[in-house]
Amino acid sequence: MTSKNHPTHPNRRTFLGLAGAATGLAAAGMRAGWAENRPSVAAADIVGNVHETDVLVIGGGMAGLFAAVKAHDAGARVLLVSKGRLGSSGLTPFAKGFFVFDPKTEKGSIDDFVAGVSRSALGTNNPVYTRQLAEHSLARAKELSDWGFFDQTLCHRPFLKPIAERGIPRLERVMITDLIRQDGRIAGAAGFSLDGDGAVLTLRARAVILCTGAGGFKPNGFPVCDLTHDGSVMAYRIGARVTGKEWNDGHVTRSTHPAACYDAWGDMFDRVPGTNGVEIHHDLGVDVNYVAYKTGNPLPGGPPGMVEDSAIEGGPVTPAEFRRAPGGPPPGADNDRPPPPPGGPEGKGPGRMGVPMGGASAGMAIHKSEGLVPIDDRGTSTVPGLFAAGDALGSHMAGGIYTQIGSSLAGSAVQGAISGEAAAEYARGVDLAQLPEARLAEIRSDILAPLTRSAGYGPAWVTQTLQGVMIPNFVLYIKKESMMRAALAYVEELRDHHIPMLRAADLHELRLAHETANMILTAEMKLRASLMRTESRCSHYRLDYPEIDDRNWRAWINIFQGQDGTMQLEKQPFDSWPAFG
Amino acid sequence: MTIKSIHGCIGCGECVQACPCDVIRLDPDTGKAVIAYPADCQICHLCRMYCPVDAIEMSPEKSIPVIVAWG
Amino acid sequence: MQVSFKSITIAAGLGLLVLMPLGLYFVADVPRRSLLKEALSLLTIVSFVAVIAQLFLARSDRAVNLLFKAPTVQRIHRIVGYGAIAVLALHPFLIVLPRYFEAGVRPLDALVTMLTTFESLGVVLGLIAWGLMMLLGVMALFRMRLIRRFGLRYRGWRAVHGGLAAVFLITALWHAMALGRHTGLMLGGFLIALAATGLGLLARLYLLERPRPQPNVQGAST
Repeated sequence: MTSKNHPTHPNRRTFLGLAGAATGLAAAGMRAGWAENRPSVAAADIVGNVHETDVLVIGGGMAGLFAAVKAHDAGARVLLVSKGRLGSSGLTPFAKGFFVFDPKTEKGSIDDFVAGVSRSALGTNNPVYTRQLAEHSLARAKELSDWGFFDQTLCHRPFLKPIAERGIPRLERVMITDLIRQDGRIAGAAGFSLDGDGAVLTLRARAVILCTGAGGFKPNGFPVCDLTHDGSVMAYRIGARVTGKEWNDGHVTRSTHPAACYDAWGDMFDRVPGTNGVEIHHDLGVDVNYVAYKTGNPLPGGPPGMVEDSAIEGGPVTPAEFRRAPGGPPPGADNDRPPPPPGGPEGKGPGRMGVPMGGASAGMAIHKSEGLVPIDDRGTSTVPGLFAAGDALGSHMAGGIYTQIGSSLAGSAVQGAISGEAAAEYARGVDLAQLPEARLAEIRSDILAPLTRSAGYGPAWVTQTLQGVMIPNFVLYIKKESMMRAALAYVEELRDHHIPMLRAADLHELRLAHETANMILTAEMKLRASLMRTESRCSHYRLDYPEIDDRNWRAWINIFQGQDGTMQLEKQPFDSWPAFG
Repeated sequence: MTIKSIHGCIGCGECVQACPCDVIRLDPDTGKAVIAYPADCQICHLCRMYCPVDAIEMSPEKSIPVIVAWG
Repeated sequence: MQVSFKSITIAAGLGLLVLMPLGLYFVADVPRRSLLKEALSLLTIVSFVAVIAQLFLARSDRAVNLLFKAPTVQRIHRIVGYGAIAVLALHPFLIVLPRYFEAGVRPLDALVTMLTTFESLGVVLGLIAWGLMMLLGVMALFRMRLIRRFGLRYRGWRAVHGGLAAVFLITALWHAMALGRHTGLMLGGFLIALAATGLGLLARLYLLERPRPQPNVQGAST
């Protein structure tokens, strides 16, 4: 990577210098929602920095790590940019199970594995990506092991090892808000730094890999509050296709302190990552949501899993082969955990925190199901030069239901590595696209707009309003047309009237403003896709269409922006690639 | 409260960088970590786990109303 | 009567130097943690108070020297000094020790981060104080050899030791005030008051007290 006139790699020292120089915004966090907007930073004074690289990796989780490492090893100059810090943001710090298909220890073949996943996923998985996961997982686990990933709870240092060894520069605590497309292909990205007096960054790149994870509506009880679908929304805005928005992830929280992720899942957060072999289920769907909808809270028979399936009629269907034995791990509980140590589970964790409450991961779909539509098996999106990996890629690796334990983390590693090589290869064949000054000025103005509004809507309030509309069980999980139409009316109001009036008093709130806008657009995608899929399958459940409809719905739903700027939806048959590029 | 308190901070900034939600900042006057945006804390404990001097105490309570899917 | 005076003095000393800081520790508005962490904190605090108390277990404290025999005071000074220095020398390690038993940053990584946070005045002062303290301890251990080697007389040694101790204490106190988990208004105020009194005694001994004329010196008589 080269840089012009400025340091590019804020290490801890320089970062602290910046932070110490001007973070006089501690008090701003408690600003009353209705107060006049008096920004602590002047938008006009915010500097602009330009960086150039071959491959820009956006996101510092498991996918971003491997994308950066493999793109570098394939000969590209790489720049890694992250909203948080490498290995300490998104879901990566909390995933402890890493699926490994080791031919030496597995009884079945990879073909058997792919077939098993496909049966559980009811056809919703893309078998090419399912196979790829199994084929590459062992090699990725080996590398992670060499970097010390399986030796400690926290992954910043193990992730830093290969990045530092290769001298790959990082820009951290930088929120990317825009992908830039010029002459039909990717030209880079733009965003702003959260630290010091702020800075608008223009990152020119030959290729961009989105490793931004998926997201949610800043829900309570699961550590996804920094993930707001930034990647898929940015990509959607420049014409990429996005898929998988109708699926739901059914993580639950607990009735006592429902927002306390750690307290509900602490035994898992505290754990050192480990590996596991083939173990296919039909997990993280909305079974618990259905029981709660039918019976109310508290759920009958205590914790989920203890609920007699036969006692409640209807609801999401789990194929008989993949039903868990009574008393097994609760559906909706996180199964990406290595088996508990001998002697039973530790004192903390599920069970000690009261009965289950839904919506912990509200706004997030099944891992790897929602995100950019790939046109091949390398994470290539429908926009030339734009790649995606991990939860930002709609690879449907697991399908519309969580099938293989530990596959999320392993899938991010595998896809990150493959997209890194693909992006490096692409970057070799193209020049940096030209960026017209006028376009850059326009982007800068859009990024900073919330700071310049003297009045408007506070992003925290808009987000809470969105949560109130989207998170109820009878909107997001147990779906029916009338409620989704009603919710869509709210969301359209937020989109048309509130996004343009989001205000921000400081750089933290500027981040919230952009995140809020991304969540609103995602909510629209989720509602429209859920309305369109007039059947129930895997983690998508329609009260008004409770049956699987194989005649009409052996298809994924792709979402894209039409010529007139409106949201368009189309079907893409299972087992096919999109017919455009 | 979410992050309950910070005592014995040495100002290394590990928590500021470790926090996925940008809740903590270094006070420009004292150079020490302050809970700048408690409403955005997701109670994940990464700050506490990254703190080299174990200065951060957590509380399971969220500082703003909590919206869940049913109640 | 002298025995009871001694007992009262010992009781008062222990009360002031042990019970008082412990009491202030427990009333401070700091969350309680695991037994191990609380025990390590208490050990460190008591050791630091003990180091300040060295100013009162020395020739500078006339009252103590009147009540107790000089060799006794010196012996206690040595025992308390070496003991407290040992704990304080280890206290950076004690801070990260609990990480061996819980999830989070690894103890050694935490130690490296802590000791390389040079942006923090408190950390830098701590490093300097640690160095001075080790120097004090080592010099005390080898004081006889030092005195012989450099031809110091007792007063010379005392000036070096006391002067170094004063610089160390001020640095260490500043460090403790800047970074200590429990050094709020109460415990911090107590430490400052205690140190100020002790340093005052030292200053009186060095600056105000002139050497008494020595009777065995032959000089020109008027």
